[in-house]
Amino acid sequence: MRTDVVVYASEALLDQIRKDLSLEQAMNVAALPGIVGPSLAMPDIHQGYGFPIGGVAATDWETGVVSPGVVGFDINCGVRLVRTSLPADDVRPRLRDLVNQVFRDVPCGTGGEGPVRINKPQLDRILRDGAAWMVENGYGTPRDAEFTEERGRLGDADPGAVSERAKERGRPQLGTLGSGNHFLEIQRVQRVFDAEAARAMGIEEGQAVVLIHCGSRGLGHQVCTDYLAQMGAAMKRHQIEVPDRQLACVPIHSPEGRVYLGAMRAAANFAWANRQAIQHLLRGSFERIFGGGVHLELVYDVCYNIAKRERHRVEGAARDVLVHRKGATRAFPPGNRDLPQAYRETGQPVLIPGSMGTASWILAGAEAAMEQTFGSVCHGAGRLMSRTAARKGRDARDVQRRLEEQGVLVRSESRDGILEEVPEAYKNVDEVIEVVHRAGLARKVARLRPMGVIKG
Amino acid sequence: MFEILEHTADIGFRARGCTLAELFASAAEALVATAVPDGRIEPRERYALSASGEDLESLLVNWLGEVLYWLDGKRILLRRFVVHEISPQRIAAEAYGEPWDPARHSARVAVKAVTYHQLRVTQDEGGWLAEVFLDI
Repeated sequence: MRTDVVVYASEALLDQIRKDLSLEQAMNVAALPGIVGPSLAMPDIHQGYGFPIGGVAATDWETGVVSPGVVGFDINCGVRLVRTSLPADDVRPRLRDLVNQVFRDVPCGTGGEGPVRINKPQLDRILRDGAAWMVENGYGTPRDAEFTEERGRLGDADPGAVSERAKERGRPQLGTLGSGNHFLEIQRVQRVFDAEAARAMGIEEGQAVVLIHCGSRGLGHQVCTDYLAQMGAAMKRHQIEVPDRQLACVPIHSPEGRVYLGAMRAAANFAWANRQAIQHLLRGSFERIFGGGVHLELVYDVCYNIAKRERHRVEGAARDVLVHRKGATRAFPPGNRDLPQAYRETGQPVLIPGSMGTASWILAGAEAAMEQTFGSVCHGAGRLMSRTAARKGRDARDVQRRLEEQGVLVRSESRDGILEEVPEAYKNVDEVIEVVHRAGLARKVARLRPMGVIKG
Repeated sequence: MFEILEHTADIGFRARGCTLAELFASAAEALVATAVPDGRIEPRERYALSASGEDLESLLVNWLGEVLYWLDGKRILLRRFVVHEISPQRIAAEAYGEPWDPARHSARVAVKAVTYHQLRVTQDEGGWLAEVFLDI
């Protein structure tokens, strides 16, 4: 180990964390060449592939490594929160119709073509320009791009570094949600904790909002797969050894490192384009049900799996580092110039989805995150239970009925999609948020409760 | 034949075969069955697949990655595999299946990728065994 592991958790959460391999994985990460500062574990941490999910690690930009396995298969898995001009009470009477409409308009995308048809040259432009292409081509407004992390476009993306195979998987999937823990949720703003921040974000109690959770689909997954396959030989060339094959890495400025980062940025741009496409489809769904008077605006879009070049203060000096966030969210504080003007005083909105049927949260980034965690916090509740365990002894129809009794309508493409995502399979999101809030990394702005869930 | 393995976030399987060729065929079938469990996949067409690697583990990951690419990229479901060439560096096989048909095929889960997580390829008196975890 070259550095320490720092874990943010409560006693109760720590008990759960100890039950899987998360801490061992966090320790393995501490052995990454060129790591700067500690290997960080967020309160929602759980076992991943090599790197724990809910982990953050920064490497020196000049001398450190980049790891495709650390970034993960779902490059730029993330969420966007869209606010509506409707009170949740107005949505409630039409909820079933709305859920069915969204289920039709935003497919999960297993098999078949997605709703946004693009050809190969268009895909290459999307890989280079991300959300900007979508806006230019009628799938969104300039404001949408402005209120997205990185404006939905990482520069220095290299479409040529993305394999034909990855493009083949991704091209028909634009405008689709995917499955697993990806979803689209219609929610009510249940409670506002910070009135000023909520006002800046256009959020108020009783409002209907929508949370969209998905990533770079088959394109990103294939990019990671492709580059992981090359890592073994590359590591031999650079004489690097790591304790876990999934932590395979190369120097950032090696030919392999540069080309991977170019591909990763392209995949990230695809994910932003995808979330923008879904938002566009969502606007259509709302119009169909509620008429042309309803307005949907993006609050913010954040990514959970990414590696970004950022400048941070390390032991008193400003330093360029590559921040790897895996199941962790950027949480920039007030005053940060990367934020849209509207959020300069509040800090960056941080969007934390709970599991199906429990709460989601909006937080605002705070200074302590910048000082302690490279401007990062958790991303969600973190799984407790394996998928097989979640399915045991449960019936999908019972789960659905129980949720309906609580006022939550779920439409899923598969039975297992409902069973595996039951609330008990996840850690308690309120507890995770409490840790982050009390540690001063981000402060609570609002708590959101689900009304309708669409998933694969 | 295969069994499902527990993992917090995703899914794994344990596949077996009397020979290495059978193991790789069995693992490929397990992957497809994980994604499309009730698939009435008709073995209508024959396809040629191959993969290479540096060792047995990377060969298995790359082989399963190839099958996944056919599933998610080409949208062709492969049900039966006959491996006719296998060494630690290369595998060549024939597979029988058909293109995805939304009327008859429904995916239980979208498999994102094949991982190296706790990957095992071992041999004992009973034959060969592999354990693989999939990111879903």
